Amino acid sequence: MTDAPAEVAGRIVVDGRPIEFADGDSVAVAIVRTGEVPGHGGCLCLAGDCGNCLAEVDGVAYVRTCQVAARPGTVVVRHPAGGKPQLPVVDWRDLTLMPVGSKIAVRRTEADVAVIGGGSSGQSAVEAARSAGRDVLLLDARDGSEVVGIYPGPSIVARDPGGMLHVRADEIVVATGSVEIQPACPGSDLGGIVTAGAAERLEAAGVDLGRVVHVGRELLRFEGDAGRVSAVVTVGMDATETTTPCETAVVDLGRAPRDVLARMSRAEGVSAVGPAAEDQPLPAPPRDGVVCPCMGTTVDDLEAAWDQGYTDLELLKRASWAGLGPCQGGACLPHVRSWIAARTSGPPPAPFTARPAARQITLAEAAADVAIDAFRRTPLHDEHLTLGARMDRFGGWWRPWHYGDAVAEYWAVREGVSVGDVSTLGKLVVSGPDVVEALERIYPCHVADIKPGRSRYALLLNERGHVMDDGMILRDAETRFTLTFTSGGAANAEMWLRDWIQTWGLRVHVMDRTMSLAAINVTGPLVKTLLARLGLEDAPRFLGHIRAEIAGVPCHVMRLSFTGETAFELHHPLDGSVALWRALMDAGRDLGVRPHGLQALFGLRLEKGHVIVGMDTELDTTPRRLGMDWAVRMEKPAFIGRASLERTAKLDDSRRWVGFSMDGEAPTEGSPIRSVENGEIIGNVTGSWTSPLLRKALMLGWQRRTPFADRVEIDGREAVVTPTPFYDPEGHRARA
Amino acid sequence: MVSEHIASLQPIAWHEPRDSYDVVIIGGGGHGLSTAYYLATRHGITNVAVVEVDYIASGNTGRNTTIIRSNYAIPEAIRFYDHSRQLYAGLEAETGAAIFHRVKGHVWIAHTEMGMRTERGRVLMNQAMGVDTELLGPADVKRLVPQVDLTGAGRYAVLGASHHVPAATARHDRVAWAFASGASSRGVHLIQHRPVTGLLRDGDRVVGVETAAGPIRAGVVLSAVGGWVSQVAAMARIRLPVRTHPLHAFVTNDFEQGLDKIVASTELACYVSQTERGQMLIGAEFDSQPSFSRLSSFDALRSYAYKISALLPFLRSMRILRTWAGLCDISADFSPIMGETGVDGFLITTGWGTWGFKAIPAGGEAMAELIATGRTPGLIAPFGLDRFRHDLAMADQASAGTR
Amino acid sequence: MPALEPVEGWRVVATPSALDGARWNGDDVDVLRIAPDEALALGATGVEIDDPDAIVEPEAGFSVAMLDVDDWHGVVDHIDWPLPEEPTVLAQGKVAGVPARIVLGEPTLLVVQAAYANELRSRLGW
Repeated sequence: MTDAPAEVAGRIVVDGRPIEFADGDSVAVAIVRTGEVPGHGGCLCLAGDCGNCLAEVDGVAYVRTCQVAARPGTVVVRHPAGGKPQLPVVDWRDLTLMPVGSKIAVRRTEADVAVIGGGSSGQSAVEAARSAGRDVLLLDARDGSEVVGIYPGPSIVARDPGGMLHVRADEIVVATGSVEIQPACPGSDLGGIVTAGAAERLEAAGVDLGRVVHVGRELLRFEGDAGRVSAVVTVGMDATETTTPCETAVVDLGRAPRDVLARMSRAEGVSAVGPAAEDQPLPAPPRDGVVCPCMGTTVDDLEAAWDQGYTDLELLKRASWAGLGPCQGGACLPHVRSWIAARTSGPPPAPFTARPAARQITLAEAAADVAIDAFRRTPLHDEHLTLGARMDRFGGWWRPWHYGDAVAEYWAVREGVSVGDVSTLGKLVVSGPDVVEALERIYPCHVADIKPGRSRYALLLNERGHVMDDGMILRDAETRFTLTFTSGGAANAEMWLRDWIQTWGLRVHVMDRTMSLAAINVTGPLVKTLLARLGLEDAPRFLGHIRAEIAGVPCHVMRLSFTGETAFELHHPLDGSVALWRALMDAGRDLGVRPHGLQALFGLRLEKGHVIVGMDTELDTTPRRLGMDWAVRMEKPAFIGRASLERTAKLDDSRRWVGFSMDGEAPTEGSPIRSVENGEIIGNVTGSWTSPLLRKALMLGWQRRTPFADRVEIDGREAVVTPTPFYDPEGHRARA
Repeated sequence: MVSEHIASLQPIAWHEPRDSYDVVIIGGGGHGLSTAYYLATRHGITNVAVVEVDYIASGNTGRNTTIIRSNYAIPEAIRFYDHSRQLYAGLEAETGAAIFHRVKGHVWIAHTEMGMRTERGRVLMNQAMGVDTELLGPADVKRLVPQVDLTGAGRYAVLGASHHVPAATARHDRVAWAFASGASSRGVHLIQHRPVTGLLRDGDRVVGVETAAGPIRAGVVLSAVGGWVSQVAAMARIRLPVRTHPLHAFVTNDFEQGLDKIVASTELACYVSQTERGQMLIGAEFDSQPSFSRLSSFDALRSYAYKISALLPFLRSMRILRTWAGLCDISADFSPIMGETGVDGFLITTGWGTWGFKAIPAGGEAMAELIATGRTPGLIAPFGLDRFRHDLAMADQASAGTR
Repeated sequence: MPALEPVEGWRVVATPSALDGARWNGDDVDVLRIAPDEALALGATGVEIDDPDAIVEPEAGFSVAMLDVDDWHGVVDHIDWPLPEEPTVLAQGKVAGVPARIVLGEPTLLVVQAAYANELRSRLGW
């Protein structure tokens, strides 16, 4: 029955050997045409239902070759007989899918009604919807639209010849029809067995099937030779066996619903119609042989699992693996249900659920046109790169980690002047007649007494009294404030404020300026000299803020300090940012100005004992535990978190965040802190820095055992609890 | 001929339910079954029923991504999970059941300075607790996981990783069945398809459960429910600091073994291991939106298909066999809640986050001890519900969750 | 390739009724009503508004691309949420995973915060 096509359309390569195919051939049909089988035996349906024609096609394993049109040059590799494919090998010179999936197109479409399946029940559904004036999309696997899954929405994900198709529909109709029941008997894993439908398809394609035997429910077993069927054994009404030699066995055991999609379609707006939704008579219970061709589960396996107590369809499936393979039980489910019904002398159990993928896709196809994690850049991004910065992702932004020498950056701040890009800080403007009321309720500190032109550091607490964020409250006018937040906490803080203001019904406007304003922190003992050169004559005093033009750029100038030195934050419109940065760098050249990155900043702040919310804090961090009770005014009648703080203030507390110091190099951040008495772990280091100025290791960290120790062991050395700030405790330099 | 994997199945015994037991456990998942097993084996308490709404291990246990590890960042969690890891390592020997336990090592990759800071801290804290975790540079990562793309698809460059050497995987339903078999063969009753609809009370004390098929009295009731624990706790008039979020996972088809390590990334919030059958088993972070839906989401699938293949490009051409979702009980501090509830006769084990697999043996052993002795074992004392009242979170954000 | 360039304008948060009656200065002003109480007026040089507590700020934090029909088709392929059907309506959502605002019309305006402009350009292959 080897049979060259009458008209050769091209050649595909199967296991390294070219074979010819005819126009219209699928890969499976082209292979069957040569007298071979596409997989390793088992009954072929050629309708995309079974797993018996799976092979690797063009580098993708587990492809149903009956669903792939043969094209010149298609490379097919059979899966290893009795084994599994090797993991794909990546050609590192050609990562053409970089970024992942970008070469695969995604088309998105909408329809009033999406009908899956173009058979007679599908066509009826299409006509009914069209005559009701509805917009209909028909997805038919025979046209190459293979549905992967039905999802809530409802929506459909399919693969079609153009790539991936994402469909939103008001209504989805599953009209996938029925499948031909696969044989489950001894010899059913031989080659040369096809369903009646497959035989028709092969005959229509002009494939010579040789000597054909048609067999129905009288089938008892197949006999074979060298992996191919050689005879069909049937049993008559009188229990006599008949053996009929053949080259191809054509099996007609009736049909079962093609219901993989229907079985996963619990989403609202999804219905199944026609044979896909109709009960069909189950096949006779299998007595011997392979039941689940995908997983190789035999009747003996079912028996053995059942006998051990795995007597629920779901347990039996998981214990025997029947139904766990690529066809999702399409081939075995009718047989297993029939077998259970016979075994229990009861009704068959309800079918198990199915889950995507009904038709498989690769990870690249799933990931096609996915877009996640949009990282933000400040307007100074290219300036940082020019200056040799190593950029890192932090709080959703690209930020300079260092510019090559964090210690030199540190010294520039401590002894000269330095610039840092703090554009990423959260910035809100709030305004309105109730603004003071709102802020008094939101913040644990006093707000009403902040005078216009002045500012105050503030913690942001949640209802449990735990620290969510921190920043500055700057009063611009009687009824207008600017608020700042950490880079990572800004988005949450904005939602938090808006939610509460709306909940309370207060008259407060909120404008998020986080991405509208850039900000440069200019800091160091020489900062005033530098800023005076660029036009800042009357610098505000500590915690003051003014509007001023610096180097011609309109700035909101905030006098604060995170570094411990005199510092001005210059908040300004994005379009002036590069000019301002360059002006600062140019005008400060003789002052030794240099930029500092996050690494130096973390060391600078550590010497001052400033907390970084998220790095130093945990989910249960109260102001008391941070030693920051001064930032909370319990005499205020109400603010978020007050009730919790009042309650927890009465508890014995066993957690505190304090400073430690010791000689030598700083230990790794995250190091355990141990008791010097018994070595027990009593906490961990959250910040660690070898101070170039103080010439010792400074640390911030948690103690979680009482009584709190004054001496601890860190990194095998003794460290002492040290009051913070470590550096300039009176704050003379920040105020200078 | 019976396949090898079926020949290794241990028998599960099914009994005719009674109307009263010493202990009733709600929830026939890993934690419920292991508690029953340890009650029977460690304490000789066998007048126990496990009442399951569906079939055993049908919830989060059977949906698991099956990673067993103890590379947490706080001592209490490291101690608890490492004990569980050790129980797992001995489980095949103890029960005789094949659970396909394989020690693989867990490579937790970092892509940013903050990510490296977390991994360095994890390594030091693990080592201080006697747990074998080491710090890796990019070259070490490439040596252990040759398939990794150190550029992270040009977007998520690998700066390093921690390598938790004893991390393992096991087959999820085999674990549940090992405990089910061991418990039921000693007389524990497993009652499937029996929804609990309420709790029986005598004054303030819980004295049993109401079910769709009638009441079952009990000396002690333990909720080992996953997903719907808030509803069960509400029956005892307890409001838990727990929210329920869906979590998605998927597997590819079967391939020859080739990915030796469990590979995870905190920033990408996804992880992969190869199962004993050869599938790539891939999971990610739970949905941020609370929900009780167990429907698969394509948005979740595509985003973590992207992420994991940015790290391991060989995955791109692998086909997805099946996707699914389960429910995560996320506590206020992302750590489990075990022990007494303040309601007499009603205990709880919950807050298992992303499905609680790695804690199944230790969680069950500790809950069994609490039931048998009336005293909370020291191993789980830090995880009591009352910690929230005392404002003592078991905060370990860097280790909890799916990763 | 369409140009995604920084634009200047004014941004206002005010009571909805005051915003309804705002008088924008400038020749070619596109007013995007991004919330009931918030407007972004591209190309505006000033505004008169009847709300003493209004927050009125010059705005340079956005980048805009003007898209002809062909350009727009290339963008739509990266939107997986339903767009409004009426023209000149403001739509807000992610484009290729980047938070964006769209004003359908001829041309169609694609507006993003400048911090995301680079990411969006690379994702759209611009």
